[in-house]
Amino acid sequence: MKTLTFLIIVIVSGFLAGLVHSFLNIALVEPYLDNAIGIENQRLFAQGQAQDNSQFWKQFSDYRIWQKQGSIVAGAILGTATGALFGLVFAYSRNALPGQNDVQKALVLAGIMWAVLYFIPFLKYPANPPTVGEPDTVTFRALTYVAFVALSSLGALGFSRIYKKLENKKFLAFLGYAVFMSIVFFVMPQNPDPIKVPSELINGFRTISAVTVTISWLTNAIILGWLWKKFQPDSVTTRT
Amino acid sequence: MVQTSQITKTHAVPIIAVVALLALFGMGYFMVGFDQGQLFSIVQGHAAYTQMNGVGYLHEMTHDMRHASGFPCH
Repeated sequence: MKTLTFLIIVIVSGFLAGLVHSFLNIALVEPYLDNAIGIENQRLFAQGQAQDNSQFWKQFSDYRIWQKQGSIVAGAILGTATGALFGLVFAYSRNALPGQNDVQKALVLAGIMWAVLYFIPFLKYPANPPTVGEPDTVTFRALTYVAFVALSSLGALGFSRIYKKLENKKFLAFLGYAVFMSIVFFVMPQNPDPIKVPSELINGFRTISAVTVTISWLTNAIILGWLWKKFQPDSVTTRT
Repeated sequence: MVQTSQITKTHAVPIIAVVALLALFGMGYFMVGFDQGQLFSIVQGHAAYTQMNGVGYLHEMTHDMRHASGFPCH
């Protein structure tokens, strides 16, 4: 394995996918976030915790611009982070993955990891816009989310080993994972926070945020698969 | 003497690459998804938890992407 080549293509593909996510977020998700924060502001005015005047809106506008710039950096960091895990798992599983080339293999793995790390946890703990989450419950919600993602990941790892050992009836491994996650789904506690914003806002936000996360996984897979094919970090030339 | 070159495929991932990528994943995932001031508190102490409008700097900077990626936030 050419270590440096491997690390560079993994990090670059994750970083670029993260940037794609960032700009999709700015274009598609931010309007929903602005809407939700607008509701939050109205509550602050109603409760007398802030005053609806030009000074407030000037500070608020500057702050939101800074946060939106921050979200571009955050997307790049998150893309690089998830891309690092994706690249590592791809290196270990590439030979076992179905597909006729590296892009196809990477897309299959991205589909699996997207489901295990993002979409199945999303079904239990869907994304929420600002104003929904209570500050007092954020630690509890973070712990339950991490626990759910960890159980989903360990379950997938365990059943992938069973999949390899099964000579026939390999579908039993998928069935086993589905049963395991169904139990986890019902055992894990609900998000305790009530939803006090319009359902159109919640549903629109959840749909579009899921679309952008999905596109970032697809982008990571396509770039990594293409770079892997081009640079072949697992090929070593020996002279005799 | 005839020199020949042979291309072989190696599937073993060097341990240094495994450690580096797992560290990158852990750090980045925590930073964007969960940090409430813990990382900066290593240098800044308790003040790191409340330095931006009563919450941590990284929390506020990653706020929008945290919501958009499905992480718990407030």
